[in-house]
Amino acid sequence: MFALIKLIQSLFGALHSEGTPGQLAAGIVLGSFLGLTPLVNVHNAVIFAALVLLNVSFAGGVLGWALLIPFGFLLDPLFDWIGHNLLLAPSLRGLWTSLYNMPIVPLTNFNNTIVLGSFVFAVLFALPLFFATRLGVTRYRATIGERVRQSKWYRAVTASKAYNVYKMFRP
Amino acid sequence: MRVKIFRWKAIGPLLILLVIAGVLWWVFADTIARRESQKVGTQLLGAKVEIQRLHLDLAHGKVLIQGLTVASPHEALRNLLQADELVADVDLVPLTEKKLIINRIAANGLRFGTARQTDGRVAAKSGEGQGIAGRVLAETHQWASQFQVPVLQLATGKISFDSLDPRRLSTIPAADALGARADSSRRAWQLAVDTLRLGPTLDTARATLEKLRHARATDLATLNEARQAIERLKRARDRVTMLERNVTQGVSNLKSGLAGLDTARQRDYAFARGLLKLPSLDAPAVGAALFGPGAIRPFEQVLYYMQLARRYMPPGLLPRATTGPSRVRRAGENVRFPKERNLPGFLVRSAELSFQLQPNAEQPQRYAGRLSGLTSDPALYGRPTIATATGPQLGAGLMLNHLHDIPVDTAGASVGGVRFPAFQVPGVPLRLDPGAATTQLGFNLNGDTIHARFAIRSSSVHWTRDSGFANSTIGELIWRAVSGVSNLDVEARLSGALHKPGFAVRSNLDQAIGAQLRGVFGEQVAGAEKQMRDRVDAVVNDKVGPVRARVTEVQKQAQAQVAQQRARLEEVQNQLEQRLRELTRIRLP
Repeated sequence: MFALIKLIQSLFGALHSEGTPGQLAAGIVLGSFLGLTPLVNVHNAVIFAALVLLNVSFAGGVLGWALLIPFGFLLDPLFDWIGHNLLLAPSLRGLWTSLYNMPIVPLTNFNNTIVLGSFVFAVLFALPLFFATRLGVTRYRATIGERVRQSKWYRAVTASKAYNVYKMFRP
Repeated sequence: MRVKIFRWKAIGPLLILLVIAGVLWWVFADTIARRESQKVGTQLLGAKVEIQRLHLDLAHGKVLIQGLTVASPHEALRNLLQADELVADVDLVPLTEKKLIINRIAANGLRFGTARQTDGRVAAKSGEGQGIAGRVLAETHQWASQFQVPVLQLATGKISFDSLDPRRLSTIPAADALGARADSSRRAWQLAVDTLRLGPTLDTARATLEKLRHARATDLATLNEARQAIERLKRARDRVTMLERNVTQGVSNLKSGLAGLDTARQRDYAFARGLLKLPSLDAPAVGAALFGPGAIRPFEQVLYYMQLARRYMPPGLLPRATTGPSRVRRAGENVRFPKERNLPGFLVRSAELSFQLQPNAEQPQRYAGRLSGLTSDPALYGRPTIATATGPQLGAGLMLNHLHDIPVDTAGASVGGVRFPAFQVPGVPLRLDPGAATTQLGFNLNGDTIHARFAIRSSSVHWTRDSGFANSTIGELIWRAVSGVSNLDVEARLSGALHKPGFAVRSNLDQAIGAQLRGVFGEQVAGAEKQMRDRVDAVVNDKVGPVRARVTEVQKQAQAQVAQQRARLEEVQNQLEQRLRELTRIRLP
């Protein structure tokens, strides 16, 4: 329940933040990497650092992460198929062999079919997700955004302590 | 307004997060490494791997493991090995490539086959085909199950047999095939006779003979014509001779086919005999029935470890996919990409082992062993994995040579003075305590060809009866045969293609037990065998009789036709030659 409230807080907090629609969309895209790919991997540490250091919506990142975790689980068979085909493609064998025998790179677990497949999928999915989210946020703010901001339940949600924590990282 | 790209104020919290992560790693690294080692070890071996304490000393490249317990993948309440302490010198630089290179391991206080409180099997309980270890375990178990020799089931005094399925008899398809071959031969020979075209040759020769009868010695044209006719007849005879050879060869093949039917019938007798559910009373079969199920187990276990080694240490440098790490999400597959002149993913350069074989004995003996070249990529390391162990009454060696396309795995061990646990003799209510015995094992797996030998010798065996012994006739007989015997000498051999090798077991008890069994059950068994043979004959004779008659008929018909053609040619040729001699004979006045 608490997670659900936090998710709703994140959603509306992000939608009504001072950040631009582009910042929010970029945050969601970075968060989608955390949700779609297996979490405990080196590339996700880089994604997390980017989410913190880049001037994108952190709340958008949390939102993207939370929303895409179920899709990550659901699409695992597809990721496995993509990763399998990429890793065992004869034309790419030289590339993988070089990467596999380099320092640091193998620690990313790129040679796992799920990790590679989900990462490639997230990269390909990033641009459509970015533009769709940016368009959606712009339309929301132009149409019903102000009415939601004035509603009683929105004030109740944003009055909680969790919202204050969020405000520390808002763009 | 220009939007800033970096959020500089977040660097502080991020650095604090990194420091916290570093501190957590420093505090929990040993625990994480211990749990990961247990998880990976369990997954690799198909049995629980437990570690009491693990300490990483990365500054000095050392890993200390204390209280290592590896459960047996085959036996529920037994450990494969326990070790008091293992110290490993790890090469740190390859760790950045996710490669584990251990320069040296010192293992102290190794003990084998110790008892445990809980079932430590993982692959055996997880169902067939789960992970590499699960698949290999299922395969080797399936492989071993083919050697289920009929145990001594005569204790009830009844002999039963399953119904005979004619589709499983080999004589019937063999007879069908032979009948088809006979028909085909008959058609081929008839065609060959027709294509000889002897009619025109004979007609011409007869016409020439008629002219010759009225010719004179000076009628040179007719004489020449007669000679030409004789030549044509000779050539026709040559063709008949060739056909005759062909027929002789074909007849010989058909006779072989008939002999093959007899062989197939013998096979069917043997198959039907297998349905009788009783062993042969010959000495080798008695040995297999008594000790076969027990003797196959060491082979099964060694094969399991060798097949695991082949999966984890494959030859060559092609990419290899293995099951990925277990996690909440799908594991996927990890693909490894070995590269020439690079380090392998895993390598133990050398290990020094110190162990005890019977730690609970009054004076436990210490043994020493060495292991070298244990690697996940033998082609990169370039040398086979070798292990040796020596000590009082112990000699053991192992070589896993996966350098070439066809892997060759060899293991041998001879252990003396070791007490083995008593075991139940299959099919009869007897327990055998082999006492302190000498055991030998030789195992060679060359590609897919296996040669293996297992022998156990003891001069202090002890037999005990089970409670169900009172009502068992056969048990009483065997007890009479073996109770006074204190020596045991059992030898089991495997040889041939791995998927279906020959398996033979002999023991010094075979003759004695076989003689006792034959004395009581020989007549009964012979009667049952005759009944089974009669059943086979009843099914087979309906098919084989007509085929045999057809083959005989085809043979006779072909041989008669050839003889007839030859006779016709010879008759005309003789007449021509005789008349020619009469005309050309010089008559003196």
